[in-house]
Amino acid sequence: MSWNTVVGLEIHAQMATQSKMFCACRRQAGAVPNSNICPVCVGWPGALPVLQGEAVRCAIRAAICLGCDIQELSRFDRKNYFYPDLPKGYQISQFYHPYALGGSIPFTRDDGSAAVLPLVRIHMEEDAGKSSHEEDGTSRIDLNRCSSPLLEIVSEPLLMSGTEAASCVRSVRALLRWVGVCDGDMEKGNLRCDVNVSVMPEEAVEFGTRAELKNLNSFVSIERSVVVETARQIEVIEGGGQVVQETRLWDQDKEVTASMRGKEDSPDYRYFPEPDLPVVWITEDDIQQQSGSLPEMPEDRRQRWLKEYDFPEREVVPLLSRRENGDYLESLILEGVKPASASNWFRGEILKQLNEREERIEVFPVTAQSLALVIKAVEEDRISVATGKELLQKSLDKGSDLKTLLESTDEQVQDEGALGEWVDQVLSENEDAVNKIRGGDDRAIGFLVGQVMKLSKGQAHPKKVQELMRARI
Amino acid sequence: MVNDAASSLPDPGATSHEVLAHLQSGKCTTKALISEYLNFLETTGKRLGAVVEVFSQSALQEAEASDARRMAGETLGVLEGIPFTAKMNICTEEGTTDASSAMLAGFEAGVDATVVQKMRSAGAILVGKSSCDEFAMGASNESSAHGVVRNPWDESRVPGGSSGGAAALAGAFGWAIHLGSDTGGSIRQPAAFCSATGMKPTWGRVSRRGLIAFGSSLDQIGPLARDAKDCQIALEVLQGSDPLDATSLSFSESSKEPIRKIGWIRQGFGEGIDASIREQVEAARSILEKDGIEFVEVSLPTMAQANACYQVIATAEASSNLARYDGIHVGKRLSSNDLEELYSSSRSSGFGAEVRRRILLGTFVLSSGYIDAYYGRAQSVRQEIREEILSALDDVDALMMPVSPFAPFKIGERIDDPLALYACDILTVTANLAGVPAVAVPCAFDNEGLPVGMQWLGKHGDDHRLLQLASLWQELNDTWKSVPQGGQS
Repeated sequence: MSWNTVVGLEIHAQMATQSKMFCACRRQAGAVPNSNICPVCVGWPGALPVLQGEAVRCAIRAAICLGCDIQELSRFDRKNYFYPDLPKGYQISQFYHPYALGGSIPFTRDDGSAAVLPLVRIHMEEDAGKSSHEEDGTSRIDLNRCSSPLLEIVSEPLLMSGTEAASCVRSVRALLRWVGVCDGDMEKGNLRCDVNVSVMPEEAVEFGTRAELKNLNSFVSIERSVVVETARQIEVIEGGGQVVQETRLWDQDKEVTASMRGKEDSPDYRYFPEPDLPVVWITEDDIQQQSGSLPEMPEDRRQRWLKEYDFPEREVVPLLSRRENGDYLESLILEGVKPASASNWFRGEILKQLNEREERIEVFPVTAQSLALVIKAVEEDRISVATGKELLQKSLDKGSDLKTLLESTDEQVQDEGALGEWVDQVLSENEDAVNKIRGGDDRAIGFLVGQVMKLSKGQAHPKKVQELMRARI
Repeated sequence: MVNDAASSLPDPGATSHEVLAHLQSGKCTTKALISEYLNFLETTGKRLGAVVEVFSQSALQEAEASDARRMAGETLGVLEGIPFTAKMNICTEEGTTDASSAMLAGFEAGVDATVVQKMRSAGAILVGKSSCDEFAMGASNESSAHGVVRNPWDESRVPGGSSGGAAALAGAFGWAIHLGSDTGGSIRQPAAFCSATGMKPTWGRVSRRGLIAFGSSLDQIGPLARDAKDCQIALEVLQGSDPLDATSLSFSESSKEPIRKIGWIRQGFGEGIDASIREQVEAARSILEKDGIEFVEVSLPTMAQANACYQVIATAEASSNLARYDGIHVGKRLSSNDLEELYSSSRSSGFGAEVRRRILLGTFVLSSGYIDAYYGRAQSVRQEIREEILSALDDVDALMMPVSPFAPFKIGERIDDPLALYACDILTVTANLAGVPAVAVPCAFDNEGLPVGMQWLGKHGDDHRLLQLASLWQELNDTWKSVPQGGQS
């Protein structure tokens, strides 16, 4: 029998706000444990949550870029469960009336076609703290993350494979990063994803029983876990068994999923309306304000770049993965760099440097302004490409100002008189090579040009040298 | 000096506003006043079990500072020099805030609740913490970890609850304002039992920040004092939107006109209400009618379901609000290597029987499979009650009924019968469910010399109009002026 896989997503995105969701504490990763906490986020008796506008604005931006129907009225509910890193004994979430319904995620089907995954809803909720368990059996609790704002994005189960699921999560990540809603680092846990998987015979109309997979902290785990879980479910059914509804944990090392808890063991969260918070009103004005302040979206930018800069399609796609990258590239162009060389430099040098430095463009020490001076010097033949790259490297290595480095660099010698002297000297010292060329073996010309470059300590303009050389040979 | 000061102190039953005038005219110093009030707390207050902690040192220092301000001609607060207490579930910087529970024994909040800050800013002086039922759950003040509180009018009887300590203090002696909290009648019922005036403001009018939550959608902090005018001055100080409580709002009265037309709630005088209570409140009606107040009968049929509805909603919210006392972060911890065991042993030993009962009930009514039948239905009934009350208030300015269906009962009389205790709430929970303000005032003393109270409910925001009506009543009738014999220190 032929089987289809059916996949749905539940994505948890930490919102990249300055403060937490219900208090003014800083939301900061990597801080000293329990340093960013206050009575509100640790559930001190008598403390009350106060919804921070920043989180709502951030949530509105996410809903706009995913095309959701933003609800004028929504409200918070309490999700009750006991856990040591949940100091109030409940999580403030939106269960009954989420702030955004519908919407979709654009993604690429396995057959290469463009598609969209419809969303059920997005809701806002607060994060819990973090427990860590030591080998000696003690547990430590860090409450810094408590009450950090999260978005939970729930999709319809309409994907057909793990690769499609990964494609969707990549797409959401790119969009959320683009509008500054989420940093999107799966390894740091600020983007987390659960996947629902079920299988059904190809000709069937009813979905099979689904399993929810947790602990997927990379795109590879998303892809692989769906493949493995699909195979497991098919084996169960073909062996005469039945798939049960349950939550399963993905084990990345062993590449297996293992049952965590069955449906009957799933916690009863006893959701009820949060009495400490008034309803959330999101007006048309609030939405307008956010959509007005959204950056140009990737698709719009793609169209514009193709038209304005005449970039080839294959060059544009990687440049759209992060908005800040494109912003930097455009700054180069605004500074007078030709679009083609801006794209070459960015894709060649800058992305390479960012990779090596494991750094984001936002903190890249070389500004677009100073880099533009270098690229323009190359464009104008005042320095060689090699010199330009060396300057960039030097500036990064030594932390020195690129503009100053450029100013103290000798420009290429283009003067025919000076070049002529070097050329004459090299020609007279390398008669063999000259004869070879005269004999029709053109390969030696590169060697001779190299000798001139050496003699001029890199100052000679290589193209001009070659021209002079050919004229003389 | 002490004798001179003592001889010029106000009467034991004097109101706060009389004391304000007394201090203003220089008849005594704030220090002498506070000193005498501390004496009352240490003797009568402690004997009644009404006060748990007395802040003598800080109160005397503040009194001296207040005297100095007065001498220097500085601007004085509207409650300058007036002593006040906070219920054990209201956070204060000094002392402990244990909600009268072993779970929170020794818990120091470290910060003042917004209401306490406001009282201090108005010049009032925090003198102590009053006892209450554990986590404000109870109507007899018999479930306090600090022991029973006694009714100052008959010390073999309960003072009501849960703000029993505050009410006993207010009934026994004047001068002060007592901050209580009212989730289902916890200010009004003890006020009625102790012959004090107490009010539950419109939900949201007074910040709940710093109040240890019980049923958040019902909880409201309010004053207990000698008379309606004291409550009015206190409410002026306490009210207002607080950036630290998202549900707090500034309200305005629906009208500037005094209340002239009152709805007589038929269900407040029916089955289950003692005849002596009915008669006393009916007599009060005649007095008001003679003054030209018009009465019309109104029927609130859904009130019959109010108590059941209240028990479901209040316990549901309590089960969640009290989850934070898990032995991990805040509250008593019994160590264990097993997490489940740590939770269950800590919570079982930290919470008293009534609190455990309500947490279990609240957890049940929210549980999958039961939530629609219990919590869901209670929410709809609550909506109906609210609409019924508001539509009744379309035609009248206020609604009137007794506070308690019966007189203060003997200590121990109902403690083993939770349902008999829950019956105390049948007339008070309606105001909490509807979120409307309600004022309880002394109405009379029954044949046995026990206090009888009555209450008015008004539209959202009509708190001060209700207090105005209460002041009118207190001009026409001086029941409220009585002070129990044992109450004088």
